[in-house]
Amino acid sequence: MPEQTCERRREKSSLTGLVIKPLWTTFVQTVRNSFGGRPNTVLYPHEKLVLPPRYRGKHALSFTRCIGCGQCVDICPNECMWMKKIEDPVLGKIERPGVDYSRCLFCGLCVEICPTDALLMTDQYELSSTDRQGLRYEPEALRNDDYPVREPKDAILVPGLDVTKCKGHEECVKACPVKCITMVEVEKTGKRVPTIDLSVCTHCGKCVEACPEKALTMTKKLIVMFERPMPVFNLDNCTGCGACVRACPADVIYLLEMPGTGKKSADGKVGKDKKRAVFALEKCIGCGRCAKACRFGALEMVPESKYREAQAAPKPKGKPKKGGKKE
Amino acid sequence: MDLWGISYAISDILMHIVYWIFSGLLGLLPDPLGGFFDGIGLWFVSPGVIAFITMLLEALIVIIVALLNVIILIWVERKVLARIMDSRGPFYVGPLGFFQNIADGAKLFVKQIIIPKKADKFGYQIAPIIFVGSSLLILAAIPLSADFAVKDATGATIPGGILFAFAVFAIAPFSILVAGWSENNKYTLIGGMRSAAQMMSYEIPMLLTVASVFLLVGSFSFGDVVNAQQNIWFGIPLFLGLILFIACMIAEVERIPFDLPEAEAELVEGWTTEYCGMRFGFFMFTEYLRGYAGCGIATALFLGGWIGPDFLPGEIWFLIKAYIVFVVFVFIRGALPRIRTDQILDLGWKRLLPLAVLNLLIAATFKILGWF
Repeated sequence: MPEQTCERRREKSSLTGLVIKPLWTTFVQTVRNSFGGRPNTVLYPHEKLVLPPRYRGKHALSFTRCIGCGQCVDICPNECMWMKKIEDPVLGKIERPGVDYSRCLFCGLCVEICPTDALLMTDQYELSSTDRQGLRYEPEALRNDDYPVREPKDAILVPGLDVTKCKGHEECVKACPVKCITMVEVEKTGKRVPTIDLSVCTHCGKCVEACPEKALTMTKKLIVMFERPMPVFNLDNCTGCGACVRACPADVIYLLEMPGTGKKSADGKVGKDKKRAVFALEKCIGCGRCAKACRFGALEMVPESKYREAQAAPKPKGKPKKGGKKE
Repeated sequence: MDLWGISYAISDILMHIVYWIFSGLLGLLPDPLGGFFDGIGLWFVSPGVIAFITMLLEALIVIIVALLNVIILIWVERKVLARIMDSRGPFYVGPLGFFQNIADGAKLFVKQIIIPKKADKFGYQIAPIIFVGSSLLILAAIPLSADFAVKDATGATIPGGILFAFAVFAIAPFSILVAGWSENNKYTLIGGMRSAAQMMSYEIPMLLTVASVFLLVGSFSFGDVVNAQQNIWFGIPLFLGLILFIACMIAEVERIPFDLPEAEAELVEGWTTEYCGMRFGFFMFTEYLRGYAGCGIATALFLGGWIGPDFLPGEIWFLIKAYIVFVVFVFIRGALPRIRTDQILDLGWKRLLPLAVLNLLIAATFKILGWF
């Protein structure tokens, strides 16, 4: 059979197939185009195409929604974004991303990963400039607080814990209808705080109502399609400096004192207790700014799927690391 | 339209103005030598000088007419190609985008001219001159009508004008090879070599086809060939020859589907890769000029040249026929894909050459039967 197909192929690439048939097709097409229809060309500056609703053009950045986590900068495949430190009269000292459109490929990953729907893509595509620097858009140029979110990401309401307020009454554990809350002791602080298994949680909010200290609040958390890394905490390296607390854009990290760790000086005075970082990981958006801020190697970002393994496994340095607030 | 007459009248007026400037104006100055300026002025109005200036003017007029036609041809090509592709073509500059070429030319003029560091400067600079010069030289041989031809003072055109035209046509591949070699770039070199290979394949069948016309006419000059077609165009008895000639002429002027030396997709514009600014512009322009010349030759040889009904002058008939041939060129460009180097050699030696010999036999048969 293959010989026959070969023969057929040879027949096709003859004078008729290569010259006469294309010429005839083109002739018919030309006559049809010339006398039967209008050109397909869109006269661009005068007419414009209707853009599809998901068109990816220039970004719009809501300064009020943006929390400055910098995940857009991290995920950008072309490294065309950067965080700029701005002194805003209303918002104070903030960091917001800028985009260099000479390198941007409009993939939209930055918009996909944005945990607060602050970075959006508009349908504005006329970005040409006479200057190469004219394609570099500072965050102020991208600012558009009122741009509507055309495709809001799915959101869940998560009971977020304020660790400093929690007194360990365990009311939330009793109130939870699906038993997803357990009390876990925070190492060396002598405190027990609730931990919430988000895979079971139905976001009913009964724990929030039950809490006598108002330590739990329902926090809106957007679902992004990327796997979020989680911080793994190494208590041995933590000095309690609080850099991670200041870096965290989502108020996940709190500082708690560890009683009995105050330095005793030679004259018998007992100094202040050391502090350690405690994580309320329900609210964590996985931006990793805490790990970047930590100068002592106490924090490491691990993908969510490997988070539990990383917590269980001993660190290569030798000492077993009891991570975070929860086990 | 009598080219020689017009040129002679203009040059006569010009030279008499010069004579008046020398003898009338400068003669008012103190003249120690006595009649010096008057002598110079008289030299300017001597018949030899006027004849020389007349020929220069003839060349100028022929070139201007050709360049105007080329501008129109480029516009025609863009528009027809756009219609084939169901788009609009040039649209904004001028009526129906007619001045788009001029805008493009202005753009190319203001571009910086760069000579590549590793290029052979002499070859790089001489190649466009050969290409453009040889292509303009073709026009000297092609008459638009019996009167509108480059003549000398005795009224004689170039003897053997068709042979001259084809000889000059064949210079261009040499300049392409020089350009491709001197640019010192792999694409340009491949383009130049392809040009040489292509020339070997199309030149012989084309000249054999032309030989069939010579056989019927018995003369090498355009005037005789056209006058021999008073009763019937050679394109009708020698239809095969017309087809062969158009195919070979497309290869000669390097248009799609035979634009192997400057294949955009594979060779990045081939032998013109390293040229920029107006040098590139001249190359592009000259290619259309060669297209115009090729269409003119095809018209004169096979389509009766300037012969046509009397309500239009012969030059217009010639141009109309040439434009129709050019539209066929454009149509073929829009319809057919580029062929490979081995395919063009196959085509030239295995198909076109036997067919050209067959065409020559047909012409010989007609001649023996005494029909022409």
